[in-house]
Amino acid sequence: MSSATAPEAGQGVAAPAAAPGPAGPRPASKKVKPLSKRQRPLWMLIPGGVLMTFIIVIPFLIGVWISLTDLDQYTLRRWLSAPFVGLANYVESLSAGLPAAIWISLSFAIISTIVTVPIGVAAAIVTQNKYKGRALIRAIFLIPYVLPSFVVATVWRTMLQPDGIVNILLNKAGIGDQLWLSGSTAYWTLILVEIWAAWPFIYLLALSGLQSVDSEVHEASALDGASWWPKLRYIVLPYLKGPLALAFLLATLNHINNFTLPFVLFGAPAPESVNVMPMIVYVTSFQSLRFGLSAAMAIVSLIIIAIPLFIYLRAVRLDVHEEGGK
Amino acid sequence: MTTATPTAAAATGRPRKGRAGSEEAHRLMPTPLLAVLTTLLCLMVLIPVAYIVLASLNSDAGVASGEFWPSSFSAQSYTLIWSTVGLSKALVNSLIVAGAVAIASALLAVPTAYVLVRYAFRGRVTILRGLLGFQSIPGTLMLLPVFVLFSSLGSTLGIAIIGTLWGLFIAYLTFAMPFSTWVMVTYLRGLPRELEEAARIDGASNVQILARIIFPLSGPAIVVSGIFAFLLGWNDVLFASVMTRPDTHTAAVALQVFGASMEGGAIPVYSQMMAAALVCAAPVVILYFVFQRYLVGGLTAGSVK
Repeated sequence: MSSATAPEAGQGVAAPAAAPGPAGPRPASKKVKPLSKRQRPLWMLIPGGVLMTFIIVIPFLIGVWISLTDLDQYTLRRWLSAPFVGLANYVESLSAGLPAAIWISLSFAIISTIVTVPIGVAAAIVTQNKYKGRALIRAIFLIPYVLPSFVVATVWRTMLQPDGIVNILLNKAGIGDQLWLSGSTAYWTLILVEIWAAWPFIYLLALSGLQSVDSEVHEASALDGASWWPKLRYIVLPYLKGPLALAFLLATLNHINNFTLPFVLFGAPAPESVNVMPMIVYVTSFQSLRFGLSAAMAIVSLIIIAIPLFIYLRAVRLDVHEEGGK
Repeated sequence: MTTATPTAAAATGRPRKGRAGSEEAHRLMPTPLLAVLTTLLCLMVLIPVAYIVLASLNSDAGVASGEFWPSSFSAQSYTLIWSTVGLSKALVNSLIVAGAVAIASALLAVPTAYVLVRYAFRGRVTILRGLLGFQSIPGTLMLLPVFVLFSSLGSTLGIAIIGTLWGLFIAYLTFAMPFSTWVMVTYLRGLPRELEEAARIDGASNVQILARIIFPLSGPAIVVSGIFAFLLGWNDVLFASVMTRPDTHTAAVALQVFGASMEGGAIPVYSQMMAAALVCAAPVVILYFVFQRYLVGGLTAGSVK
């Protein structure tokens, strides 16, 4: 545009081919598009790479090794020479409550996701149009998401105590109180608190999906005189399919991996009905001190998580190739 | 180039005109339904939050007798928690660890992401996919091996790692790195390459390009990845519950220990629980609302909380 910026831009984009000047020795044929292969400062990957190898890859291998040994508190100091037992831990985990834990985790995660999706979508729809005070409403919707999980669990644990506010209000309403934090009710308590805390995640992803609906689409459907429900159902919601599929997958993974909520809400060991996979792995390691068994359980839960994870990675791979994809 | 410009101009020009024209066309729902839904959602969030705040401003006896609205307001609970929960030491520990993780991971992520975005090499796509995959590895899987590794390394080298803030720092840093790096990757991918090319022609080295061009341009992404790393450290209970001693407890563990221990007591200290929980949440809430406009975009970019 102006004469000051032109030379700079020219050199950057097109000049190498034309200018044999001081930059001559550099091979000039390279265009901007392909990734450079010269002067690769690959050493810059070392700090992050070493850290991640040291704390993720090596421990993962150690975890696999431990799962094949009978490691307990007596052999912990010499874990490399712990007695090798092959797949015995995996066999034992089947009778040590792991199948129940898998079932609890999966059903808890899927129920939580199924309930949070409509709530999140509704919240995104009601904050999509501009109105006075919308910023405040959006801030309120983010509160459960912003609060740390351990804080959410602590306050709900306090409110759901046998003599806590929830039971007091229920008694006043004549419904009668509940033991929320023990027995089989605990399972539904876990789901309720998880829903309360997790729906804004869906809301955020749905909101970004709604914003991708073109203005023309709205105008065209207004011209056609479409009333709100058909428009929402057949025109706007299809735009949300992609974002919601991603949200569904990620939210379910988050629910399955959630350790903080059951741990703080119920303490360890947790009631039988909320013994989710992270809890059973934790308790087997750090309370029963059956390290080998616990590692085997952890590997099995990783395999279960790997299925949705694999779908996710396949879906996101497209974004890796697309330039500038969000 | 020439064919692309007119369509781009048209695409950006037209919707703007339309948007100003017809608010009505964008309406997704009749106003009464919208109002009902908004109210319901707000009540769902605000009733528990209001109770938490009110209970924290009540006395322990008042909360125990079942008051929703305090008969007398006092900030007593907020002064008591510093001695009963041991919250000040724990908050300082949390701030040190989470703050250090935030700074270190944001700084480490920039060079890593720069190489991943700008240079082709064998294994690049594998690393990118690994960055996403690592974010979903359950912490419970890694806790035991990391614990074993740290304790045997500690006894081999004759230093304590378990129980110190260093151990926590290294663990959190590693779990924060994949996310921070991914945020930087998505950001750097959108940066134009011309500035770097120009600097290279002027004879700048890789390190100079990184320090003088990439870092200064990456401000927003550094903020986002730093904050998420901070949250990861601040919100963790799993590692902190196993790898800290009472004097290195983080806020999350101190609160959890207090909650578990108070339940045996004769008089429930629910008001103090609520006050302590709110104090633990305060730094996070402040961070969110100060940096809100960076964070909402970052959420959808990196996606795993």
